[in-house]
Amino acid sequence: MAESPFDALLKGESGRNTRGLLRIIILCTVAAAAVSSRLFSVIRFESIIHEFDPWFNFRATKYLVENGFHSFWDWFDDRTWHPLGRVTGGTLYPGLMVTSGVIYHVLRFLTIPVDIRNVCVLLAPAFSGLTSLAMYLLTSEMSTSPSAGLLAAAFMGIVPGYISRSVAGSYDNEAIAIFLLVFTFFLWIKAIKNGSIMWGALTALFYGYMVSAWGGYVFITNLIPLHVFVLLCMGRYSSRMYISYTTWYALGTLASMQIPFVGFLPIRNSDHMSALGVFGLVQLVAFADFVRGFLPGKQFQRLLTSMIIITFGVGLVGLIGLTVSGVIAPWSGRFYSLWDTGYAKVHIPIIASVSEHQPTAWPAFFFDLNFLIWLFPAGVYMCFTRLGDEHVFVVIYSVLASYFAGVMVRLMLTLTPIVCVAAALVLSYILETFLVISPQTFQAKSRDTSSESLRSARSPVVGISSYISKLIMTSSVVIYLLLFVAHCTWVTSNAYSSPSVVLASRLPDGSQYIIDDYREAYYWLRQNTPANAKIMSWWDYGYQIGGMADRPTLVDNNTWNNTHIATVGKAMSSREEVSYPILRQHDVDYVLVVFGGLLGYSGDDLNKFLWMVRISEGIWPDEVIERNFFTARGEYRVDDEATPTMRNSLMYKLSYYNYNTMFQTGQAIDRVRGSRLPVDGPQLSTLEEAFTSENWIIRLYKVKDLDNFGRDHNSAMAFDRGNKRKKATKKRGPRVLRIE
Amino acid sequence: MRWCPSFLLFCFLAVVHALSSSGDRLLVVLEDATQKDLYSTFWGDLEARGYSLSFESPKNEKLSLFQHGEKAYDHVLILPPKSKGFGPSLNPKNILDFLNKDGNIILALSGKSTTPSAISSLLIELDLHLPTDRSSVVVDHFNYDTLSASDNHDVLLLQRPGPLRPDTKAFFGGEGILALPRAAPQTLGNNNPLLAPILRAPATAYSHNPKEEAFNAEDVGATGSQLAIVSSMQARNSARFTVLGSVESLEDKWFSATVKGLNDKKTQTANREFAKQLTSWTFKETGVLKVGKIEHHLADEPENLNPTIYRVKNETTFNIEISEYNQDKFVPFEVPSEDAVQLEFTMLSPFHRLTLTPSRRTENSTIYSTSFTVPDQHGIFSFRVNYKRPFFTNIEEKHEVTIRHFAHDEYPRSWRISGGWVWIAGLWSVIGGFLAFVVMWLYSEPSQPAVSKVKKAQ
Repeated sequence: MAESPFDALLKGESGRNTRGLLRIIILCTVAAAAVSSRLFSVIRFESIIHEFDPWFNFRATKYLVENGFHSFWDWFDDRTWHPLGRVTGGTLYPGLMVTSGVIYHVLRFLTIPVDIRNVCVLLAPAFSGLTSLAMYLLTSEMSTSPSAGLLAAAFMGIVPGYISRSVAGSYDNEAIAIFLLVFTFFLWIKAIKNGSIMWGALTALFYGYMVSAWGGYVFITNLIPLHVFVLLCMGRYSSRMYISYTTWYALGTLASMQIPFVGFLPIRNSDHMSALGVFGLVQLVAFADFVRGFLPGKQFQRLLTSMIIITFGVGLVGLIGLTVSGVIAPWSGRFYSLWDTGYAKVHIPIIASVSEHQPTAWPAFFFDLNFLIWLFPAGVYMCFTRLGDEHVFVVIYSVLASYFAGVMVRLMLTLTPIVCVAAALVLSYILETFLVISPQTFQAKSRDTSSESLRSARSPVVGISSYISKLIMTSSVVIYLLLFVAHCTWVTSNAYSSPSVVLASRLPDGSQYIIDDYREAYYWLRQNTPANAKIMSWWDYGYQIGGMADRPTLVDNNTWNNTHIATVGKAMSSREEVSYPILRQHDVDYVLVVFGGLLGYSGDDLNKFLWMVRISEGIWPDEVIERNFFTARGEYRVDDEATPTMRNSLMYKLSYYNYNTMFQTGQAIDRVRGSRLPVDGPQLSTLEEAFTSENWIIRLYKVKDLDNFGRDHNSAMAFDRGNKRKKATKKRGPRVLRIE
Repeated sequence: MRWCPSFLLFCFLAVVHALSSSGDRLLVVLEDATQKDLYSTFWGDLEARGYSLSFESPKNEKLSLFQHGEKAYDHVLILPPKSKGFGPSLNPKNILDFLNKDGNIILALSGKSTTPSAISSLLIELDLHLPTDRSSVVVDHFNYDTLSASDNHDVLLLQRPGPLRPDTKAFFGGEGILALPRAAPQTLGNNNPLLAPILRAPATAYSHNPKEEAFNAEDVGATGSQLAIVSSMQARNSARFTVLGSVESLEDKWFSATVKGLNDKKTQTANREFAKQLTSWTFKETGVLKVGKIEHHLADEPENLNPTIYRVKNETTFNIEISEYNQDKFVPFEVPSEDAVQLEFTMLSPFHRLTLTPSRRTENSTIYSTSFTVPDQHGIFSFRVNYKRPFFTNIEEKHEVTIRHFAHDEYPRSWRISGGWVWIAGLWSVIGGFLAFVVMWLYSEPSQPAVSKVKKAQ
């Protein structure tokens, strides 16, 4: 072989340097790709906060930046959940807001004048760049091959399952939480490999950061103990494990308890008990290990058996006792719904009503992960063949996350990182097998297969020598990779980059048409109503009204008070005569409904209406009855055959009020439900139309004051229409006349 | 006391223009101009009190209660028409609109003529009911004027009314006998809490249509004190609407008539005085309450007025300044003896309902105040004063404040809680023990230095 001019760069000391430089360049490129593929929405629309929850996070961040950290910590928000208010500082995960606040202040300090909104919009892409770096580190721990880490980083950067929660403007907790999740796992693997207090403490530190950022920290809280537990069961107890786990648990628990929202949960909530239990178990095992050195085998066996039985019995009795007496909180409803997907629908309609809590549809796996999903099992298998401590971790993580991702759509997010790891392991293995020009190096490697691996993997690996098979395999992998990139770009661009505040549609001539009704209505509220006019709407829009219209709302997406939400549901699903006192009692000035009938926008309130009915039926089973909203044949209809309960409900009236004036008589059509509406539209007496947006998506109604002359609103309306009131009917028993 | 000069200026203007607190333009709707002289004393009294009267016939095409969308008059006095109705400018809708714009109306009826159906349907809208034939009069065989109505018994002689309830102020009381000839009775419906009777018929009265020959005992709608002769409706915006059953009682003749009851001596009527009370109440010379400053603050920080946020368990003080307009000036408002102005501290429902006590009096107003502890519940509360009494204008004040939770540094520190001492002791003993252990470890000599040296050498 001739000496190529590159050999000087690729061999020896300078070769290592070159590879290091290349690695850095590749990682930077991956990070740049991760960031830039998330900017579709900024380029297409504008730098805007998306969806629902991000609006609250944005508002909280603004509050933090304006008022400082201390008042943020003690923030009592009087503009949501009117009139209850929300102890916001103590009921949120502050990590996200504090992170962007710090970034904002640092940039200001560096004299870069940046708007806090842009910090918030671009935070998720920036952190996704960091996530791919963390992914590189994590995967590099799993495999000796450097290419696995790079591949994993690239996958993580653009995989749609992660992009769905981290496009620019998607300013949600997950934006930074996935980075923290991956990085914490990396640190944990480091800790358990090295058995060092430093790595254990770093794990605890980032675990604390994760706790401050996302409720999904419970996943870490359970996964690490499970990892340790499985290792113990495999008989792999070591002082490395003892040191790293106890360090992590002690420091991490202390760190997590510093977040007001978490508080004493780590020692009182069932979700955290496994970590505590494993902590105790590790102590016992360590003690047993210590005792073994001093006792002969037979006595030790007896001691061990009795100790295990006693400990297990005491622990179980204690756990049951504490749970029954209420010291340890019972499992939360969201937890139950993880095991029984039908649980929420029966018991907690409010959880079931959230679309991201629904079970995942199978195509979603391919949609979100593309070819990674079928590389994933192979990667898990490869971890089985090697089965170091860190590979056990991958296996456990895969099993758990696969299950959870099947149960809830949103948990696809936690599955994504491990899929990337596993797929990268497989793909790097394939590439290394088929890309290597000379097979000799493999035979050398195959000799030092560790004794821990499975028997099937012990036979020596024979390399591939045929160039054709190498070419076929390599090119097919390249094609898969290219398809993956194309798929990711397509999904990101078409499915995950819509701000959902602004809708885009196409006109018949193909030009883009922006439907901006939400912002139109919210800015109308901002400009035309008093600063503390209370807006009632279904809870989906609470955060947006708070963020964009800056008006107090009755309920919002932080669904902590089911009764209050049910009250709103009752007001929406009852007759006006029932709703009006509720509206008055809650000082409601305006009612906002979302109506998609004109445009065919299916995410409107009438389609969510049954959830309102169900949730309020949960509290008032005698007053709101779901059955009455269905026709005799069990259909949910809005046309002539709609039930009287349906047609008299406030939601129906508010949706269709004056709608028939848009059409010729009898021609009014609801395009979402595809039905022809009754000729006579509903009449409103206690509310009056205040604003309807351009495409009728948002309709605002003002709640009338009490009648000036003490009449009820119906007769006042009748009088205004010119109907003469009938004289008091005579023949109805003796007249009761007042003499006061 | 910044408001003092402007307030005095306001009083000054009020004195110059009219006694009423809400304007002096009075429209008298009178169909037959020749009848005007019948009421000359009444007009004279009104003009002496500063009203500028304009007389219009309801038949006048140009008559309108509104000009450029605002009310053209402040008050309206409607006398019963000769013909069947009032014409388009005084239809029920216009009259209600006029009330909606804070205009005040006296509607005089007469038992002599049939009440127009437009008026009747207006009254039904307010839950005031006239007899179905619309031409009945109140007849009483025990309280009638023996001099003028010895046959028909339709001139009622009544004492002037006292307070409506023990907790209301008597605006129409006083000495003397009222003569109410041929009064059209009204009955008050049950559905309208804004109605209040001013003068009720005596227990022995009943309503009778003189045109009907045969008396139909079956068809007596209402009797006795169920019948009101003068009744009032005060709308939620405090616009006042008074129905006077007997327009004749305003005539000069009855202002100075001599009457004699069945068993009484001859006396002069007090109609003139009563007419003055009635018009001054309806036209807002009396019974008008005004809320001045509303102040609330922490009990120990009176200088920091009206904060928007309190904390749970704060001690707070609430003050409200109320004046009452009386004929020509604002005077301190005194709550009727059996009544109380109350403060509600409300979130969804009242957490406190406290009686406000007068703490200070200025020249024109009384300052009512109370102190209380904010309940241990955070949320958006409101201070509410909701004082609605018959014949007084409504006070409905609502001031929102936020009640926040304890901030993280407002709890007592751990060492102040004696129950926490055990844990603090445990904490410090562990720290102390650890330090002691470290010191011991660092400064204790290794026991077998020789062995380790040997190992190192190897």
